[in-house]
Amino acid sequence: MIYLPIAEMPVNVLLVLLVSGAVGFVSGLVGVGGGFIMTPSLIFLGVPSPVAVATGASQIAATSFSGIMAQTRRKGVDWRMGLLLSTGGVLGSMVGVWLFERLLRLGQLDLLISFLYLFLLAGVGGMMLRESLAVMRGRQLKGVSVLKLPMRTIAHRLPLRLRFPRSGLYISVLPPLALGFGIGALAGIMGIGGGFVLIPAMIYLLRMPTNVVIGTSLFQVLVVSSLIVILQSAATQTVDLVLAALLMLGGVVGAQFGARVGAGLKNEHIRALLGLLLVAASLKFLADLVIPPAEQFVLVSGQ
Amino acid sequence: MIRRLLLALALAVLAGPAVAQQRTDGAADLPAAVAEEQITVSSDYRGSFITVFGVNPDRRGRGDVVVVLRGPNEPATVLRKRRVFGLYVNGDPVRFSRAPSFFAVMSTRPLRSIASPQSIWRYRLDPAASAELASAVPGGADPSAYRAALVRLRRAQGLYQEHTGRPTAEERSGLTTYRGGLFRAVVRLPANAPIAEYSADAYVFREGRLISSQEIPITISRVGFERRIHDLATQWPFLYGLFVVLVALGAGWIAAFIFRRS
Repeated sequence: MIYLPIAEMPVNVLLVLLVSGAVGFVSGLVGVGGGFIMTPSLIFLGVPSPVAVATGASQIAATSFSGIMAQTRRKGVDWRMGLLLSTGGVLGSMVGVWLFERLLRLGQLDLLISFLYLFLLAGVGGMMLRESLAVMRGRQLKGVSVLKLPMRTIAHRLPLRLRFPRSGLYISVLPPLALGFGIGALAGIMGIGGGFVLIPAMIYLLRMPTNVVIGTSLFQVLVVSSLIVILQSAATQTVDLVLAALLMLGGVVGAQFGARVGAGLKNEHIRALLGLLLVAASLKFLADLVIPPAEQFVLVSGQ
Repeated sequence: MIRRLLLALALAVLAGPAVAQQRTDGAADLPAAVAEEQITVSSDYRGSFITVFGVNPDRRGRGDVVVVLRGPNEPATVLRKRRVFGLYVNGDPVRFSRAPSFFAVMSTRPLRSIASPQSIWRYRLDPAASAELASAVPGGADPSAYRAALVRLRRAQGLYQEHTGRPTAEERSGLTTYRGGLFRAVVRLPANAPIAEYSADAYVFREGRLISSQEIPITISRVGFERRIHDLATQWPFLYGLFVVLVALGAGWIAAFIFRRS
């Protein structure tokens, strides 16, 4: 047990290491930041939710950076694409945070976030699972090629084309910028890094090869989560260094193991795993929404 | 006679501001003290006990003692789960402009048999009476349901406590009275209680009327490492955030480095 100076509560050190290690493992394996698992886990451990969101982001920064280091050795990061996505992501997350405050004042925020979570997790997860299972069975899904064709033509016709040697693409910079912006806005509203939406979008919309998708999305996640830590620390002072250190320790070790295991897996297996994880998370989320709550009221301190 | 009246008036005017500062207007000061005037929080903090001593001014010990430990008042919002398209989502927020972040009340007998409901509200002797609603309750809902929910949820976290009578073997919090009017109240401050300025307030009621009271400030503060981190986070928030990011990058880099070698 150690007392957290900002969260103002003691936590079990081993338990926190275990949770962050597990999240880090998943993060290194499939290349998502893991915010959509980390934040609810911390809240479940009793950490106040603003502290959980802001401090969880610092752990995501650490694991994504260690993931990037591992991916760089395998030439798995398209820096040019990552920079474009991050630029869009930074702008988008600022708009998202602004939208968050507006919706909060309108009083419909919780409803919107619930539906966004449910549809994104279930939709993206289901799609990935279906596609990767089809590939494993040895046949190409027709829907994917339909998706791919118009995107290519748009990307080719748009100005400001750029060569992305790592990804083997020659497309306009506008689709990645717009994608980064959209994901950033979603991330700002939902309080997550957005990696789990970004990865499938890079695979299915930008047609990037899966082996560079993970490293590149980690790069975008690193930039956005670092920004969240600094902004949250400056605005709300809810970043707990002691908790962050524990989460980082568990997270980076877990991420390294995850990246090792991931290197020995086929692309479609990784996609199937991520799809499975997202569908499972959406089911958990749906259960929370559908099962009648024992306590009708929810308390939010502060504001 | 007139001179006496004038003197009393002058005294009342002089005493005016002091009386206004205390909630317990008109009641005589109660001799009381806290055993722990300073409580420090370091990395091994697991919560603490606070002991309030005092003497009932009535030599025969008549009357009832109430001791309240209050944390600072803070805003809070209570939401109610609504059903939308078959899903339960949080909605219908009700804001409290001030609600005690910590509230423990110890009394010799049940509060309701010591003081009238008016006195309980006037002196804020229970947590529900200490919370102030700031907004209208939506859709004709019962405001007392929100107030009760606030108390219930905080009680479940151990932040609101009510103890009647002396401590037992299982429950160390309580109030004990001794011969000669001496009383001692013990309350457990859980580790999740906020680190702040608290106030331990002792009251003596007789036949439902407040006859004596006292307020004692208690400071709970961080020391050592915990204090340094908190000071950094509140005084230099931007630099602190930057520092945390650098620590994160360092941790990631070290892990990648170690794992490459092995």
